Parts: sequence; structure tokens; C-alpha cells
Amino acid sequence: MEPVLLKKFFNVGFEEIDVVERTPFGLEDLSRYPLFAPDFLDFLRRAIPSERHRELVYSITIVAQKPRPATTF
Amino acid sequence: MSYFTEQDARSIIRNAYGEVQSDDTKVAASIYGAEEIAGLPRSAVTLSLGVGHPVRHAGLKPGEMVLDLGCGAGIDTLLAALAVGPKGKAVGLDMTPEMVKRARENAVLMGLENAQIREGLMEENPLPDASVDVVISNGVLNLSTRQSRVLAEAFRVMRPGGRVSITDLVLAEALPEAVLKSPAALAG
Repeated sequence: MEPVLLKKFFNVGFEEIDVVERTPFGLEDLSRYPLFAPDFLDFLRRAIPSERHRELVYSITIVAQKPRPATTF
Repeated sequence: MSYFTEQDARSIIRNAYGEVQSDDTKVAASIYGAEEIAGLPRSAVTLSLGVGHPVRHAGLKPGEMVLDLGCGAGIDTLLAALAVGPKGKAVGLDMTPEMVKRARENAVLMGLENAQIREGLMEENPLPDASVDVVISNGVLNLSTRQSRVLAEAFRVMRPGGRVSITDLVLAEALPEAVLKSPAALAG
């Protein structure tokens, strides 16, 4: 989930971490991908409650920066 | 938590991405602009399996060095190579030999001498320390059972002040266990 992933960026040392895009992905979106066979999509439709079919996952874009060394004077 | 060992997950993903075929541009058309797609080789477009547009948010500048983690058939690597121009460079890294081959062919078809495709693991990044300005990735981080390791390796190869623009899928809510245990779900 999103908070878990963002924490991983933070723990590694990234700073200025931001989610700049967040798009819901449902089963219909997944069906565009050739990685998913029709029988697998049918399995998902059966296994997951129908009210979740439109927002199963989110596509998020995370931007972040590697810190520059602190400047000393 | 993963229901698969690292080796099993890697094998499932390599097989799925190695065998995938598509003559369809639906995925790419839902993500990229028509003018971006128009200049790309057919298989870079039809085998676009990303879930967003990390290049759009990367703020690439001419002369920069870009690393694309899990480049697949190369669509984002090619767009990055175009954005950084001949004084810059885009390196695509992928663990699936068939995808590496396709991405290399696509870079040659475009005549992009500043696009280099390497076979390797993002958990054991082959690039040297502090050699990259920008790391991008598109729908790949979730495929790793060691995401923190992938991010640590990305951090290592980046120069101080370097940026990441990573697009990935995250769950809205927990999935049923039967789905989590499915190899087909893992590959997606």
C-alpha cells in the first residue's frame, strides 16, 4: 500500500518525497494488459467483491531526491 | 509479505514477460501522447506494459544520465534518450532476455546511440556508484520481493541531488489470499 511504499523511500535516504500522480486502476483497466489472460480476469471478478472492481489498485508516480552533502563554511 | 520465494517470483515474472505477445496499442494509447507514440518502433508501443508516465515527471534535461529500472521493450528508455539528447544517455535495465533483445532492437531502429540496454537485476544494479542523474521505472517495483533493496541500489547509483520518478501499482485495500497466492497476479 502507498504509505508502506513511501516509507521504504524514506528509509533508504530519499528526501522531498512526493506522490505527483495517483490514478485508480480497476479490473477493466487491467484487462487492457496482455499479461492477464481472460480466465485470470474471471478469477479476479469472482474472488474480489464487485464494489472494489473499479478501484482495485492505484497507479502512483513518486518523485524524490537524493540529498546533496551538507555544505560547510 | 510475499507468498513466493525470490527465485520463484523471478522465474514466474521472467516467463510471463518473456512470453508476452501483443499487437495492440491500447495500453500505450492510454498513457502516452499520440505524438510521443508516433515516433517509436511498433513493438516498443505494443509491448508497453507500464502503468503511468514516469518520464513526464522526471524533468529530464539535455546531457543527463538516466537509468530505467525494468525497461521492458524500451518505451520509457527511448523517450528518456530523446529527452536527454545526444550529450546525455539512457540506460535500460531488464532481467528478461526477450525484453532486452526487443529493447535493443528498438533502440537500433530509432538510431539512438545514447540508449543502452543492459540485462541484469535491479536488486543487484550493475551501474557504478554515483553515476546516474535520474532513475525512472514504470510498473516494475511491485514485481520485486525486495523493494527496499531495489531502492537502496537506485540510491547508490545516483549522484547527490539526483532524482527518481517511479510509477508503480499499490493496493487500494488488501486482496483476498487466493489472489495473493496466484502466480498470474504476481506477474502483473
